[in-house]
Amino acid sequence: MGKLEGKVAVITGSTRSIGRAVAEAYIAEGAKVVISGRSEEKGQNALDEMNAGENAHFIACDAGKQSEVEALIDGTVEHFGKLDIAVLNAGGIMGAAPIAEMTDEVWNHAVDLNLNHTFWGMRKSLSHMIPQESGRIIAMSSMEGKLAKPTVGNYTANKHAINGLVKVAAHEVGTLGITVNAILPGLVLTDMFYESMPATAETMGVTLEEATAMFTQPSAIKRPNTVEEVAAVAVMLARDEARNFTGCLFPVDGGTMPY
Amino acid sequence: MGELDGRVACVTGGTRGIGRAIAEAFLDEGAQVVINGRSPEKGEQALSEVGAGESLHFIAGDVTQQEVCESLIDQTVEHFGKIDIMVNNAGGGGEAAPLAEMSDEIWNYVLNWNLNHPMWCMRRALKHMIPQEWGRIINISSMYGKTVIPTNSHYVTTKHGLNGLTKVVAHEVGTMGITVNALCPGGILTDVMNEQGPVAAEALGMEFQAFLDMMAEPSAIKRLNEVEDVALVSVLLASEAGAGITGSLINVDGGQVPY
Repeated sequence: MGKLEGKVAVITGSTRSIGRAVAEAYIAEGAKVVISGRSEEKGQNALDEMNAGENAHFIACDAGKQSEVEALIDGTVEHFGKLDIAVLNAGGIMGAAPIAEMTDEVWNHAVDLNLNHTFWGMRKSLSHMIPQESGRIIAMSSMEGKLAKPTVGNYTANKHAINGLVKVAAHEVGTLGITVNAILPGLVLTDMFYESMPATAETMGVTLEEATAMFTQPSAIKRPNTVEEVAAVAVMLARDEARNFTGCLFPVDGGTMPY
Repeated sequence: MGELDGRVACVTGGTRGIGRAIAEAFLDEGAQVVINGRSPEKGEQALSEVGAGESLHFIAGDVTQQEVCESLIDQTVEHFGKIDIMVNNAGGGGEAAPLAEMSDEIWNYVLNWNLNHPMWCMRRALKHMIPQEWGRIINISSMYGKTVIPTNSHYVTTKHGLNGLTKVVAHEVGTMGITVNALCPGGILTDVMNEQGPVAAEALGMEFQAFLDMMAEPSAIKRLNEVEDVALVSVLLASEAGAGITGSLINVDGGQVPY
């Protein structure tokens, strides 16, 4: 008997890395899961690799676009009949630059992909969860939701904002059987890291190794976190038994954030 | 196949309330557990109620005394051959009073109970955990380790101290396979609460029920927490997947403390 037997989950940005690990962990615990991402091809690859049959379904979604995020949530309900768990995991660092030189374009894209995607996904999910008086919303924040590093002002501001949004939503639906939490991972060596970090490191004027150390050295464990460590928390928060966990900023950062 | 198969845990204050729930959750996941408490009678009662046979062992002792804490750890190792998981759960308030009227006696008692006891147990447990390069230490703190309640300077101060101690030790042993975390529960209607709550309420000039409401009302869930909430996250932290979570102060308070 899985811990999420009979549950339906949707996970944004889940063809790879953290989102994918959460999807696999949920399926292993008995849930049905909609995975999503921009690329149909990566979606199909993920479904093939996960080999979960009808328990996994892919819906293409650019998380930076409101209509697509809302269609993803509705599409999940259409496909599996309901929505119990929404993991708003998509997001990322792009266009690292000092604030003095940050363009509107890069800033606005970061706001859409990180904060607004979380807001759109949460609002739409709640429209399904409130009538059924149960639900779990998990936003993927970051230790940068509490800390700060130069040149990633767009990412940092968005993750801080997600933390605020999560706390407000938690209080609004706290007596309706719905919990809203954020997970704050430390550095995880995801595809996103390998795609965006070389450019970010260059903007910071350090090597990729030095940039990596900038994230891992302040931790107690002196290593990156793993996708499995994040997924284990995502499973716990999604369980019926976690009904009293809400508004929580759950760290998975090897002791980096002291608060 | 449990998440804690083959693990040995020691839980102070484990005959009732939160500690008992943690012990039972650990047993469910395959661990062998030592519970401690002052009263041999309550210990025997707990053993018979839980009915876990040889997987559960009781060691009597008052953890406000250093030699009792150290002996408890050593006896755990003697009995089950090792110690993997240390839960410093015992603790509580004392006679409530404004600081101006706080007696040395009550101050020192609470200091020993809430702060020195985890320090003594942790230090001794680390002697066993460091050589085996695996360990999980879970300190049961409180939301009052982050926030405040008047007339309880002893409780609030020692829980704040425990949170600080947790972070330091996490960094000291972070690369040795040992994690150290604190859980910060909100109000829970345990036996200790039923015994001490009315006294604390009286010191604040309120009825016991109003005192309980005062703890539930600022939360998002508008109800008290439950011992199972603390047990749920304790299992996660003690598991293999908990390896990347350390130095964290995890709120188990229904969304009450916003940081």
